[in-house]
Amino acid sequence: MANDPDIVISVKGLTKSYGNFEAVRGIDFEVRRGEVLALLGPNGAGKTTTVEILEGFHDRDSGEISVLGADPSHRDRELRAKIGIVLQACAVDPFLTVTEAITQRAGLYPSPRPVGEVVNLVGLEAKRGARIKTLSGGQQRRLDLGLALVGDPELIFLDEPTTGFDPSARRESWDLVRGLCAEGRTVVLTTHYMDEAQALANSVTVIVAGKVVASGPPDTLGGRDRGETTVRFTLPSGVTVDDLPTPLGICPRVRHHAVEFSLPDATTFLHDLTGWAVARGEALEHLTVKRPSLEDVYLSLTGELDELEELDELEELEELEELEE
Amino acid sequence: MNDLLIAKDQVRYEQKAYWRNPVAAVFTFMFPVVFLLVVGTGAGSGKIADSSLRYNQYLVVTMLVFGLISACYTNLGITLCIRRDSGVLKRIRGTPISIGSYVGGIIGSVVINVVLITLLVVGIGMVGYNLHFPYHLAAAVITLLVGVLTFSALGLAVTAIVPNGEAAPAVINGTFFPVVFISGVFYPINNESVLSEIATFFPVRHLVKGLVGAFEYGPGSGLQVRDILIMLIWAVGALVFALRKFRWEPRHR
Repeated sequence: MANDPDIVISVKGLTKSYGNFEAVRGIDFEVRRGEVLALLGPNGAGKTTTVEILEGFHDRDSGEISVLGADPSHRDRELRAKIGIVLQACAVDPFLTVTEAITQRAGLYPSPRPVGEVVNLVGLEAKRGARIKTLSGGQQRRLDLGLALVGDPELIFLDEPTTGFDPSARRESWDLVRGLCAEGRTVVLTTHYMDEAQALANSVTVIVAGKVVASGPPDTLGGRDRGETTVRFTLPSGVTVDDLPTPLGICPRVRHHAVEFSLPDATTFLHDLTGWAVARGEALEHLTVKRPSLEDVYLSLTGELDELEELDELEELEELEELEE
Repeated sequence: MNDLLIAKDQVRYEQKAYWRNPVAAVFTFMFPVVFLLVVGTGAGSGKIADSSLRYNQYLVVTMLVFGLISACYTNLGITLCIRRDSGVLKRIRGTPISIGSYVGGIIGSVVINVVLITLLVVGIGMVGYNLHFPYHLAAAVITLLVGVLTFSALGLAVTAIVPNGEAAPAVINGTFFPVVFISGVFYPINNESVLSEIATFFPVRHLVKGLVGAFEYGPGSGLQVRDILIMLIWAVGALVFALRKFRWEPRHR
């Protein structure tokens, strides 16, 4: 596994506990060169723990990991020089200026990118002389990104990099990340934004309660490509559900006046439905045709597991009660 | 990538950040100066027991002690706690910098501050209070160096018992002031008094005695070997504690 130079990160059977809390309970994944991997999962699922083990901040309890062919727990300086890290909090001395902070950071790397280039890359030209404490939250996050990139890293970890960004700043950051990958750099991203994962990731890994529950390209994750299409519209007045050209074996859901059909292939049904509406001179208000979004898949993946967890906990509670008796 | 050059750069950035955030600087530099000018002038040049130093000259030496401890223990400890809380320390650990360069750069900046305080305070003493240039120069330099070592080590160590950045000033000033107060920093104390007995346990009293010894006129080297050794024991203890307990990340989860 470690012999393949295209595999930048390899994780096998990773576990990590804090006291009695098992934060990571056997995680496996691989990241290839030039790829963007998005790690998704609810808060406390073990994403950040996993990433911080890969970054070399924490030691693992067990499992095999390789980052750029090295073991990050050894904390080799050669490895750290090839990695760029954006943590969740902006972490720079607030009294330095943007240029000073980037220059200082550049001095720590063997072959840094030019400071001016990095300032432009993250769009802080107008703020180059400003003290960091005067920057807005979004500007501080962009500075963070600049600090992670100044060492010209092969591998970049982004922990919720666009939290607090306005929509246009997010788009710009996405373009930046795409540019990094086009240069052959590899990105590991944790995010709560499904559209971010959809827009950037080649591969998505969903972690829930310390375990991988699904992984794959965002378009096919969790059988998303095979999921049912939902057709929704408002029932025209004076029409009942029984009047509709309902396909055989499909039962529509009705709530107030909204009707919803879920079916594997909606082509024929849409043809019948619109034909029916045109023939009757009715308008199908609020008509939408929706494929399952990444968020739908994500919610079903994480929601199901939450219920399982609750069952586990219930069983544990019952066992405890029995013990106490 | 030369570690020494990186440490030198770090000193430069530490100095910039220090002087741009004047709260710490004001206290460390202004307090000894104002105290010296107000109390030293008001209390005058009366004799003090068993010493060749006059009262206002004694205050020059102890205000140097105050400034040194404020720069090493207080400023260093609080800065590190705040940086730990805000994630600066964690972030630094994710870069290829060596811990030696980073901590060395911070201590280097502290040493510059101590040199500045020394020049300032001793300068006032020489101009205003007829203080002789340190009579035992070698003893003064050695004592100051051991003082910087000891109180920087304590500044690193105290971060381990500070739970978070907001608690840092309370914990650090709360340990600094009582000990400084009983150690004869604001007025000379009798060596036989109960207060002195208690103060003898802590390193501040030994820095005071060591530096007073170096500034006293008289024969010999002026080096207070016993006081230096006791400070060194504190330094080693603090360093061992810091090495075992220093945290790079805030207490969390």
